[in-house]
Amino acid sequence: MSKNNMSDTLTWLKTAPGLSIVISIVVAVAATIDAGPYLLVNMVVTGGMLALVATGLTLMLGVLNIPMFAHGEYFMIGSLTAYYIFTPISGFIMEHPDSWLVTFGPFIAILGALIGGAIAGAISEKLVFGPLRRRSTDNWVMNSFLLTVGVSVLLVNLHQLIFGADFKGIVGYWQGMPISIAGAYISLDRALAFVISAVIVVLFYLFMTYTRTGMAIRAVSQDITGAEIVGIDIEKIVMLTISLACALAGVAGGSLLFMYPSYPTVGLEPLYMAWFVVILSGLGNILGAVAGAFMVALLKVITMEYVGAGWDFVVPSALIMLILIFKPSGIFGSDVRGVLDK
Amino acid sequence: MEPTTNDLNMNLFDRALDRLCLTPIGLAGLILLLLLPFIPPFNQEYMLRWLIYCGFVAAMSVGFDFTAGYINIVNFGYMAVAGTGGYTSALLVINAGLSPWIAMLAGGVSSAVLGLIIGMISLRLRGIFAACLSWFFGLAVMGLAIKMVWLTRGPLGLRTPRLFETESNVPFYFLIIILVYLTYLICKWVVRSKMGLAFQAIAQNMDAARTSGINPIFYRVFNFTMSCAIAGVLGGFYAHFYGILTPDMMHTSKTVEILAVAYIGGRGSLWGGAVVAFPFIFLMEIVRSTLSHLPGLNLVIYALVLILVMIYYPGGFSYFYDTHIRQPKNRALRYFLNGREAKI
Repeated sequence: MSKNNMSDTLTWLKTAPGLSIVISIVVAVAATIDAGPYLLVNMVVTGGMLALVATGLTLMLGVLNIPMFAHGEYFMIGSLTAYYIFTPISGFIMEHPDSWLVTFGPFIAILGALIGGAIAGAISEKLVFGPLRRRSTDNWVMNSFLLTVGVSVLLVNLHQLIFGADFKGIVGYWQGMPISIAGAYISLDRALAFVISAVIVVLFYLFMTYTRTGMAIRAVSQDITGAEIVGIDIEKIVMLTISLACALAGVAGGSLLFMYPSYPTVGLEPLYMAWFVVILSGLGNILGAVAGAFMVALLKVITMEYVGAGWDFVVPSALIMLILIFKPSGIFGSDVRGVLDK
Repeated sequence: MEPTTNDLNMNLFDRALDRLCLTPIGLAGLILLLLLPFIPPFNQEYMLRWLIYCGFVAAMSVGFDFTAGYINIVNFGYMAVAGTGGYTSALLVINAGLSPWIAMLAGGVSSAVLGLIIGMISLRLRGIFAACLSWFFGLAVMGLAIKMVWLTRGPLGLRTPRLFETESNVPFYFLIIILVYLTYLICKWVVRSKMGLAFQAIAQNMDAARTSGINPIFYRVFNFTMSCAIAGVLGGFYAHFYGILTPDMMHTSKTVEILAVAYIGGRGSLWGGAVVAFPFIFLMEIVRSTLSHLPGLNLVIYALVLILVMIYYPGGFSYFYDTHIRQPKNRALRYFLNGREAKI
C-alpha cells in the first residue's frame, strides 16, 4: 500500500502542478535562508490576501464566465467601507481605551467591508450583468469583459468624484507588540490579516464542498441546463455567486486597509496580481487559485528582494506570458467548463 | 484592388470616391474637418489641441477596430504598443539625430515587430486569453519604460523635439487629419480585398475557415502586425506633438479610452470610431475643463456610455446609422449618404 502511495506521489511530482509546487517551495526555502525569514512572512501575508481576491475572480470566471476586470474596484469598495466604519470607532477607542471595541472594533470594520463588497456585487448584477444576460449571450465572454472594463472605470471615477482622490488610510487596526516568529517581527495587523484570510478561504472551501448551496453553484458551473432540470434557481445562484466573489474582494480590501489606504485606483495592483494567479492556476479552479496565489506572492517578493522594487510587474508578467505560451490552460488545468461560452 | 463590376456604370467622380472608400457625406465630413481650424470657436490654440487629441483617438480607434472588429481579438495592450513606437521614435531622434519624420516610421516598424511577437505567441489562445496576453505584454512594456531610467528617464518624461518648428498647432492638426484618413483608407483597402473576407471567416468560425482553406495563422499574425504598425506610427506622432513622453501614455486606462470610442462607434465598421471620436472626445474635454471642480466626471460619463452601449446597443453608432439613417426615400439624399450604389 505504502509503495503504491510512493509511486503515486512520484507520478504527481512529475506533473506540472507537482513540479511547480516543489520548485516554489525550494525557491522559497533557499531565499529565506539567503535573505532572512521576513521574506517568507511577507510572502505568506501577501499570498493570503491574493488568495482571497483570486478566489473571487476564479469564482466569477468558473461559474459565470465573466472575466472580471473590475475586481480590484470591489477591493477598493471594501477598503473604503472599512475606512468609514473604522474612523469613528478609532475615535471612540481614543476616548475609551478600555472598551471592548479595542479588540472587536476592527472586526466590525472588516465585516462591514465584507457586506459592502457583497452589496456592491449584488447591485452590479442587478444593473449591469443581469440586463446583458437577458438581452443576449452571444460572444458572452468578450462582451462581459468589456462591460466590466466600463464598470471599473465608472467605480474608480465615482470614488474620485464623491470621496476625493486623497489617501484614506489608518495607522493600524490593533495596537500591541509585534509577534516574533523565528527572528522576524510581524505586526499584529499583518498576522491577523493573514489569519482572517486563511479562515475565510477555508470556510469558503467548506461551503463550496459540503453545503447544498455550494453544490448548486458547482452544478451550475458544470452544466447550466442540467442544473435547471434538477430545480436549481439559476438567477438566485448567479446573484449569490457574484455577491460572494465581490464580498471576498471586499474583505481583502478591508483587512488590508493598514497596508493599502483607500484611493481611487488602489484596486489595480490586486487586480493585476489576481489575474496573474488566475492565468497561472487555470480558470475555475479554487484550490489551484490558492496555491497559485502563494506562488505569485513568492515571485513578487523575490523580485522585490533580488531585482528591485518596481520590477514586480515586469518579471511576473514575463513569466506568466511564458506559461501562457506553453500551457494555455494554466498549471493546474481546469476541469470546470464555463456556462455561457461553449 | 481589382475593379468591381459596378465600375462600368459610374462616372469618374464616383469611381474616385469608391477607390478612396468615401461616400459623399464622408467627403463632406473630411472637408469640414479640414476647414475646422478656420471657423471661429475652433481656431483657438487650446481648442485645436483638443481636436488633435480627438484625431489621435480617432485614428487609434480605427487601428484598434481593425483587430477587434475583424478577427475578434481585443488587443488590450494597444497603447503600450503605441508607446513603444513613440519611445523608439523619440529615442532615435534624440540619440541618433534622425529626422522625426523618418523616426516616426521607424517607430511603426518597431511596433510592428512587437505586434508580430504578440501575434505569434497569442496564436494558440482563444479570445479572452489572447486579450490577457496582450494586456500582460502591455504591462510588462510599461514596467520596462518606467524602470529603464537610463534610457527613457522613467516617470520624469522624455523631452522630444516637435515635428514642426512652430508654436502653432494648425500643421499638427492637418497632419493628424491626414493620418486618420490614411489609417482608415489602408485598413479599408485591406478589408475590402479578399483578406477581409478571410478575417471575417476566422472571427466567426475558426474551424470552418480552416476547412475552406484559409490559413488562420497567416491572417491573424498579419492583422495583428498591421494594426500594431499603425499604432506605432501614431505613437510617434503623439511623441512629437506633445513634446514630452511619459510611461503614463502606455497605461491600461488609455487603452480603455480607445476601446470605448471604438465600441461606441460600432465594432467592425472602421469608420464608426473615427466619426464618434471627434464629437465625443471633444465634449469630454469640455466637461473636464469647465467642471474642473468635479474631477473624474468626464470619465464617469464615459464609462456610463460604454456600459449602456454594451448592454442595450452593442452595434454602436455605425449600426444605428445603417438601420435608421442610411436608407431615406429621397434619391438625392440617398446618393449623398451612400454614394453611387451598384445596379442590380
